[in-house]
Amino acid sequence: MISVSKRLSPSVLIPLALFAFSTLASAHSEAGGAGGFSSGFGHPLTGLDHIVAMVAVGLWGAFLGGRAMWMLPVVFPLVMAVGGALGVVGVGLPGVETGIALSGVVMGLMVTLAARPPVWVAAVIVGVFAIFHGHAHGAEMPESTNALAYAIGFVISTGLLHLAGIAFGLLVKWPWGRVAIRAGGGVIAAVGFGFLFKWL
Amino acid sequence: MVVILDMNGARWKCLLAGVSIFLTASSAAQAHMLVDGAGDLGNGALHPLMSPAHLLVLVGLALHLAQQVPCGLKAALRTFAPVSAVALALTMNGRFGAIYQPVLVALALMLGILVALELRLPQWASVVVCGLAAACIGLDSGVEDQATVATVKMLLGTWLVINALVAYLAMVASNAADRTWARTAIRIIGSWIIAISLMVLAFALRK
Repeated sequence: MISVSKRLSPSVLIPLALFAFSTLASAHSEAGGAGGFSSGFGHPLTGLDHIVAMVAVGLWGAFLGGRAMWMLPVVFPLVMAVGGALGVVGVGLPGVETGIALSGVVMGLMVTLAARPPVWVAAVIVGVFAIFHGHAHGAEMPESTNALAYAIGFVISTGLLHLAGIAFGLLVKWPWGRVAIRAGGGVIAAVGFGFLFKWL
Repeated sequence: MVVILDMNGARWKCLLAGVSIFLTASSAAQAHMLVDGAGDLGNGALHPLMSPAHLLVLVGLALHLAQQVPCGLKAALRTFAPVSAVALALTMNGRFGAIYQPVLVALALMLGILVALELRLPQWASVVVCGLAAACIGLDSGVEDQATVATVKMLLGTWLVINALVAYLAMVASNAADRTWARTAIRIIGSWIIAISLMVLAFALRK
């Protein structure tokens, strides 16, 4: 039988330690279809400010219920694409980072305060913030990337974040679910404030 | 281009006008990406699945057809199948190259708008849209540097898959159309197609 000390000998421990502290290889090129898709898919997931805002869109839509549940997740990618197009062609937009941070603050507060504006007002609010998110993604789009694959990955990723928000928002049917959703809105607003005042 | 079809019907006139526009907008041919071991038929079948622009158009078209009430699927597929076959055949002699990608993406954008707005078109208009999509996909699926038999097999594989994909997706989506959540999901996918197309067109503009 092999003793514990023998099993944990330096010849085993050193490769294990190296393996544990290793990071993912970053030799993959972003060129090509697969690279473009993964690059686009990962882009909205790389910033906490983007993540909370996109989850907030779905969450707010589900919280408002009715037409808002599908209208907000439809309006957001459409207007975001317009913002993305502006960013891609190099049209400047002032206060992009502030707008992104504010989106989390405003939509998080809307959920926390259980605000129920008309659907068109909610759609306009979401649309305005979507321009900032889209512009940031479009401006940061790598030149070498396959544009179509990047856009597909980017939009699917955004849609899945909305879906996560909608799934969370469906808890609204239960009293404890409403509390959880409003608390979630508070967390989103807090993260937004964190980015707004550069604490995060 | 020699026109042998009956020109009496307005829908054929529209269809041919559309096909002619896209033919003039064609650019250099783009070869199929070959997968080792898939065989000629398999490689042809995989081609539309590995071309994001083709997939966008095919999914957009299928969802648009599914939204047409009463379902105009039969008439649309009666157009899609022969037009795509003719377009694929036209690529064989090398006279017609690949379609300029932004043109395909613009078509996807149009289909995305139709789907997101849940617009119900007259049957002839759906048939025209179907013909345009079939012509674009077919002309953009040309095969280069292959023996004639291999080329025919690959084009046959492509033809089978694009027709099966459109028919299957359209049937599944139209069967689910009586459920509110499914109709909503279809419209959301339409909005995604619009968003993707807009960004790609902007990228093409930058270049």
